[in-house]
Amino acid sequence: MSTALDRQIRPIYDALDTGSNKSAIVACNKLLKKHPKNALVQSLKALALVRSQKVEEALALCDEVLESKPTDDSTLNAMMHVLRGLGRHKDMIIMYEAAYKKQPANEELGAQTFFANIRANNWKSAQQVASKMYKQFQEERYLYWSVISSVLQANDRNTPAEMRTLLYKLALRLITSSSTPSYAHPDRFHLHLTILRELSEYDEAMTLLETPAGRNICETNLSCNEIRRDIMRLRGALEEEGKRAEQRIVEKNDRNWLEFLSVIDGVFSSLQDEPSNDAKEQCSSKLSNALELFTKISEQDGKKDRSGLLGLLELESRARKHGVSTDSTRMLHLMKQYFEAFGDKACCFEDLKPYLSLDGEDLAAWTDVLQASSSSLSTVNAVRRVINSHKLSRYNLSPSQLTVEAESSNASLYIKQYLEGLPLGDELPSTELQHVDDLAILAGNVFVNIWKMTGDVQYLYKAAVLLEFALGKSKQAFQMRLMLIRIYRLLGAPSAALEHYRLLNVKQVQNDTLSHFILSRCSTFSLASSGDLTYSTECLEASQIYISNSQETNDFVIRAFSAEKYSQIPQFITFEDWLENSLQRDITKLEYLRMRISHEAISSEVIDLELIELKFIFDRLHHDNRDFEILPNYQPKAVEDFNTQTLMFAKPEGHGWVWSFLKAYIKAFSQASDLDDVVEEKLLVGDRPQMSPDKRISLKERLSERLEEELAELTSDELSLMSYGDALADWLEPFHDHVRPPASVVLAEAAKQTELKTGIPLKGVDIVPQNGHVKKEEDTPPISEAPEALAKFFENMKTRFEDVKKATFPNEALHVATLTQEAFLLFVIETLRFKTPSVVKIHKLGNLVAKFKPIRSLAVGILKDMATSLENMSAQDGTSEKRKEFVDLCALECTEIDHDFIMNIAKKVTDSRKKVEEGVAKGMLKLCSTYEQ
Amino acid sequence: MSILRPFTASDMFNFNNINLDIWTETYNIGFYLHYLSGWPDLCCVQEAPSGRMMGYVLGKAEGQAQEWHGHVTVLTVAPEYRRLYLARKMITLLELVSDETYRGFFVDLYVRCNNIVAIEMYEGMGYSVFRRVREYYGNLGVGKGGRDEEDAFDMRKPLSRDNGRRSVRANGRDIVVSRHDVS
Repeated sequence: MSTALDRQIRPIYDALDTGSNKSAIVACNKLLKKHPKNALVQSLKALALVRSQKVEEALALCDEVLESKPTDDSTLNAMMHVLRGLGRHKDMIIMYEAAYKKQPANEELGAQTFFANIRANNWKSAQQVASKMYKQFQEERYLYWSVISSVLQANDRNTPAEMRTLLYKLALRLITSSSTPSYAHPDRFHLHLTILRELSEYDEAMTLLETPAGRNICETNLSCNEIRRDIMRLRGALEEEGKRAEQRIVEKNDRNWLEFLSVIDGVFSSLQDEPSNDAKEQCSSKLSNALELFTKISEQDGKKDRSGLLGLLELESRARKHGVSTDSTRMLHLMKQYFEAFGDKACCFEDLKPYLSLDGEDLAAWTDVLQASSSSLSTVNAVRRVINSHKLSRYNLSPSQLTVEAESSNASLYIKQYLEGLPLGDELPSTELQHVDDLAILAGNVFVNIWKMTGDVQYLYKAAVLLEFALGKSKQAFQMRLMLIRIYRLLGAPSAALEHYRLLNVKQVQNDTLSHFILSRCSTFSLASSGDLTYSTECLEASQIYISNSQETNDFVIRAFSAEKYSQIPQFITFEDWLENSLQRDITKLEYLRMRISHEAISSEVIDLELIELKFIFDRLHHDNRDFEILPNYQPKAVEDFNTQTLMFAKPEGHGWVWSFLKAYIKAFSQASDLDDVVEEKLLVGDRPQMSPDKRISLKERLSERLEEELAELTSDELSLMSYGDALADWLEPFHDHVRPPASVVLAEAAKQTELKTGIPLKGVDIVPQNGHVKKEEDTPPISEAPEALAKFFENMKTRFEDVKKATFPNEALHVATLTQEAFLLFVIETLRFKTPSVVKIHKLGNLVAKFKPIRSLAVGILKDMATSLENMSAQDGTSEKRKEFVDLCALECTEIDHDFIMNIAKKVTDSRKKVEEGVAKGMLKLCSTYEQ
Repeated sequence: MSILRPFTASDMFNFNNINLDIWTETYNIGFYLHYLSGWPDLCCVQEAPSGRMMGYVLGKAEGQAQEWHGHVTVLTVAPEYRRLYLARKMITLLELVSDETYRGFFVDLYVRCNNIVAIEMYEGMGYSVFRRVREYYGNLGVGKGGRDEEDAFDMRKPLSRDNGRRSVRANGRDIVVSRHDVS
């Protein structure tokens, strides 16, 4: 390239780097006048176009560059970004393969070809490229690249099971062909061990592990040691491993709990299946050895380390399970000892939890121990002990001990102690947690439990006020915030919940694991129909992480290859996959969609775009990354946990919920859309996402499958919506199929539009457009009556609404109202096609359209009534009586928690309710007037 | 008492009980993957027998020639698991790997000059102040804590390869460098 041209190209890069795509395009155009065929400038322009969302124009340029088969670094690099932006990984492979073929001695091109295959999960070709590179450049790393490519191919879920072993065998053959042993490098060693483990070649693995280098690696490398441990377990060498662990504990003072578990596993290794007396005797002697060892350790470590004592507990617990325990009082004795030694550590309850399943006398004696423990709150340690004792006793409360009276007095005690102990933290900076926080959390748990027992709303008010108070004292107590979010949503006060969620400062990947707290069934609270996009925006923001994942994670897979960190590669790929196919991602997507159609005008563009996206989602195998464990739970084991207790509508949504709603919308959209599979295939820009292996049946059959376990995740009202949607779709299907223009016409229209925009005809589509509507040969299907189910649905929802509108909180009413609105919008979507008079005329559908009218006016009438009721509820919630009612019911007033404080919370809750009821009503009326005709 | 195991990419789905705490920053995905794709053996997790994450450390190896060393970038323990000596165990592993696998001369870490508790903890573990880095934690002006809040101590502990104990100097607290002089 001439230096003059070089100088002119530099500003284009600068413009791209600073995100000024417009000026980059202008600069490119200028240069292209002089050098119309310069591939680098063309690809830079394509990049600027992609980045400014001008996909059609970019595509045309992109194809031109690809045809010229570029080989220079700069063009290839620019094209790599263009193709990634367009999601065309397959074209990237073709491009690099062609370049590498032209310059087979170019190592960099070889590596890029390999990476392009990796990015597209094209493991087999990647393996071949790496093998070729190894032969040519004689670099060991390329051999390892080919090895791990085989492993990745074996692990891919699209690889048939019978191929797996073959691929692992291939990997083993390759890895052993290396001239240097794998243990020269920890990550190569790790890979080698993984393969041997998979192939059950334990002896060979042991040979490697026993080499001095192998031993050394396991000393310092946790990942390799993890596999080593695994291999020992798989080959049944538990006793040997136990001895090794004992040595480490004694000689190296290792306190890794895994070593203690190894010792314990070793003790019981002879007791598999039906143990002989011999085996039992053998076990007994090992048991007493371990007992001695752990006792010694616990005495030696004292309060510095919990391992010894916890080891003794685990040992005794297993001995009891195997029926070889020799001392019936030991368990209780150890628990008591543990509580005495570590009762002042915050984790004591969690440590003892696995051993708390006691009964009869043991339980009584244990309860006595806890009750006898000091209730002093004079020091921080004393407070922690009191808290642990409460958590431990509460866990074992039996149903008969869980009366409203008993629970109320528990709550009073916790609050009393909370307030009493609070001054201990007076001096703490505002960034620290208060020592007594858990007492408030315990009381919050109790109040929610009483609410669950009685349905009496006053207990939720109490929980909210107490937790708000405690949060005011301990500003960073995120657990309290999470509890409050749940409680406010139950109370129908979404803006109060959202306020707390925002204060959690959820970032990055946490959006995937935590957004369920606020986005679960959030269309119930959405005011999008009245123009307030708060929740839609939350959905979009929470979904950013999935874009980052698809753009960035892959780069690190490549990095791990370059740095030869083979242990990380499968893990990165799993991480990417879990996030890409996250269940929450699509729950968020569906909520967003449900809000979108209530806000934006329903048009064929919206329908087409959503249809394509939903069909992609429909092929995903979802992974649930949601974090529910983060909610503190101190409910007794006899009742539901806090998470289950506080789920909105008492129905957790999961895969079944997603599938149900997906099917409903794909059904409605694919009927309303002109895009059939043929058209979609032609117009698709990027690669198709990997299909789920389950492709036995057609899309249509999959859509009509409604599985029991899927439907079980729906509320009864959601279930009615599904049946309504099915009835509507079944009724209108023949008419949609009759009217939908053939693929050739749709494609011709698309080609025309593209040509208008870009000046270049659409590639791969060459159809002569026909004039006007194509009249089908066959007759219009006979017009059938509207199924009764449609009118019935609206009537039923009306009755449902009358039932629930008097409830203490508005959630059910909002749920019923928003679902009725959704049903109406589904009706609008399904009938959109028949709004065009010419369509109706040509296809003689006048009689059909006439049948829409009564359903439409029925729906509109009912929605308007619901809106009026919601407005009345809203006016009620705005009154001072409602606030006073809250304060009276809450009845938590004391010297610390004053009237004004409670009044503020009351105001927050009632204002939030008022706003949501008002907004939903307003939006419903707006939709009625938009779609009334 | 806890399980010491490698940090893996999918731990990002489980670290909320640690990262929702105000003192622990949640970085973008790339931050964690950068460490894992570079120095996976310097990244580890402490896990409770229940499977809950208790804390984690992310480290790297860097520096030229005699400055080649292990560096502690993130060290964090969830509030409910503090005061159990977990930090000490994770640092010990990082030192071991820096010494044996990377053959570094020392391990270093940065700490706010006013974080007396942490400084004393590290001193108890054999670290000493090597130098003071001005405005390491942002230069938003002198806050409530004065210079000590925005300045950092670079604390170092010599490893077996540092025969001359060059990473220890008596007057480290008095040697002040600018933020731009450190990596």
